[in-house]
Amino acid sequence: MKKLIALLLALVMVFALCACGAPKADSKTEGKVFNIYAWNEEFKGFFEKYYTVPEGVTVNWIITPSDNGAYQQKLDEALLNQASAAADDKVDLFLAEADYILKYVNSDATQDITKIGVTDFSNTYAYTVQAATDPNGVVKGVSFQCCPSALIYRRSIAQDVLGVSEPDEVQAKLDSWDKFNAVAADAKAKGYYMTASFAETYRPFSNNCTSAWVDADNKLQFDPQIEAWIAQTEDFIKNEYTLTAGIWDQEKNDQMFKDGKTMCFFGPAWYFNFCMGNAQDPEKGCSGDWAICEGPAAHFWGGTWLLAPAGTDNASMAADIMNTFINNEDVCSKLVSEENQFSNNQKVNAKFAEDPNYGNAFLGGQNDVALFSSMTSNIKWENHTIYDQLLNEGLQNNMQEFFKGQVDKETALKNFYNYVNETYPTIVTP
Amino acid sequence: MKTKRGSGVSYAKYGYLFILPFFIVYTFFTLIPQLMTFYYSLFENYRDGLTQIGPNFVGLKNYVTLFSPDNTGSIGILKYFGNTLILWVMGAVPQVVIALLLAVFFTSYRMNLKGQQFFKTVIYMPNLIMAAAFAMLFSTLFSNVGPVKQVLLAHDLIDKSFDFLTMKVPVRVLIALMNFLMWFGNTTILLMAGIQGIDQNMFEAAEIDGANSLQVFFRVTLPLLAPILVYTVITAMIGGLQMFDVPQVLTNGKGTPNRASMTMVMYLNNFLTTSKNYGMAGAVSVVLFLVSTGLSLFVYNSLSSQYKDTAHKRDQI
Repeated sequence: MKKLIALLLALVMVFALCACGAPKADSKTEGKVFNIYAWNEEFKGFFEKYYTVPEGVTVNWIITPSDNGAYQQKLDEALLNQASAAADDKVDLFLAEADYILKYVNSDATQDITKIGVTDFSNTYAYTVQAATDPNGVVKGVSFQCCPSALIYRRSIAQDVLGVSEPDEVQAKLDSWDKFNAVAADAKAKGYYMTASFAETYRPFSNNCTSAWVDADNKLQFDPQIEAWIAQTEDFIKNEYTLTAGIWDQEKNDQMFKDGKTMCFFGPAWYFNFCMGNAQDPEKGCSGDWAICEGPAAHFWGGTWLLAPAGTDNASMAADIMNTFINNEDVCSKLVSEENQFSNNQKVNAKFAEDPNYGNAFLGGQNDVALFSSMTSNIKWENHTIYDQLLNEGLQNNMQEFFKGQVDKETALKNFYNYVNETYPTIVTP
Repeated sequence: MKTKRGSGVSYAKYGYLFILPFFIVYTFFTLIPQLMTFYYSLFENYRDGLTQIGPNFVGLKNYVTLFSPDNTGSIGILKYFGNTLILWVMGAVPQVVIALLLAVFFTSYRMNLKGQQFFKTVIYMPNLIMAAAFAMLFSTLFSNVGPVKQVLLAHDLIDKSFDFLTMKVPVRVLIALMNFLMWFGNTTILLMAGIQGIDQNMFEAAEIDGANSLQVFFRVTLPLLAPILVYTVITAMIGGLQMFDVPQVLTNGKGTPNRASMTMVMYLNNFLTTSKNYGMAGAVSVVLFLVSTGLSLFVYNSLSSQYKDTAHKRDQI
């Protein structure tokens, strides 16, 4: 019996080897193992659904969470060893976020994607290309999503607090920080929280900074927007307008359930389709009770870029993947209609934005694509450094102790500076 | 014949052969890395983004940086050393005391406890769990939305704002508790072996002379146990100075709050994560090495001098 099974398996293997169909591109000459580095499962899901892997190629996912810079460390080691790694161990494609994409774009670890076959950027949003372009104008990657970030609110709570629930009306009542702060007091009076995390409004502020984290001499600098965030959060915590939970904490996520008491969240399309699982929960969630509007400050948050590492032995497959997720209208349409994404293809997005029949069920039928499309013109790609992720994270972690009243502001800042010195020895702290 | 030379056949060389593997392994995996650490601590050697900086020889600059006060006048490494010491003492004192007590109970022929094997296994059990997993468990149990807080809240025993993992004393107590739970079984077994090594006649003689159990413990057991106790305390101390996994996982590497639970090795680790700052990390290691050596010598001398006295007296008898 065992022999029979072995024979059968052997035959299946031989058959599989012979039964090659028409492989895509010129993948015949390329490596048989395709390694993708990522920090979560988001892109993996889309990749497995919408990309047809050429036959005979095995795709390996090397997923490391990005917390505390763990993903960057893993990726750095792999990229620095890229030259000496065996062909099947080389990084063939990796994902990077807005907060640290510069580090890879401005290095020799990535390659010019126009040379491997990604040349058409006519439909992508300008900032996504700008972010992946090095100082010499060489494009190193593409983003499969565009990430204008919106104020995501609970319709029922807005109705109770503001007396209105439709996006236009809510926006009119929350279109500046002054109004936002005033409404927070009203929400409190009615027994609600304005936001569920001390860091909820960090991105709307930090994304509007007029200076980068470090200046030309690598000196750490605090933008007035960061100071404004600290001041607002201090006030919100003191008055209990917000919870003291971290932005990814269970405590905050619990607020997304039907019985949650929080009115506002901030995030782009990937936030409500990937990170708001609790809100989508069929039993305890409240799908349809949500809506989005631009909120008090235009901003974007995150975004996932696909970058082509230098030295990959699967360059044409990497290019093929990139083209699929920015230029294949079929795939981009499905990203919008099936996955609630806001794609990086303006033509596809325009189609949905103008479609009167399109509506996002999670948002109570609102046409989110139309709103996001109108917000894209406000996205600016500026004031970024290679240090952003860990500086943003470190500041939030250290300020949290201040907000909770465990340390005074000076101590919190001192701890932040110590953290910066340990993490980035070249940055000069005050 | 060669046998004429008499009985001078030396078997010592075989002895050396037998201990050779240890010395080879020790040289390559402990001694050389240790010397390299000293050497590398004299270099500027880190990464900025994907760019490697150094190694450039900078002399003692890393040590100067390590011991120079920040803008508020406090010196980081002293604080982290203090944290480590506090956390260790909080865990080690109960650990040794309880272990000693249990060891005496388990070995006492008068008490003759039933089911000893069972209890020995149970108290050793926590040591088998990976420290990181143990800390994960505790961080879930004691988190702000965890079961412990819910139970205490339901019984009105704590305030809503009470958050175990962000308060100095609760965090330190939890770390000490975990270290205690993990190591007291191990210490008990060691001390039991020590007590069983003591001649039973001593205990009997003491009893015939009319000593009560306390007197037996302090006058017979403890002095004769001193060598093992010294060993236990020194190994526990070296382990304690290297405390890392439990506080690292419990506080997610941040040593919250206000870095009050950040140990020396967590501090060292901060230099190794993103910046790969081998120079500074090396300097911290060297300081840690010197401190461990100093403390070990101190404990060895102070505890074993008693032992020597006892041994001396015993010889006189």
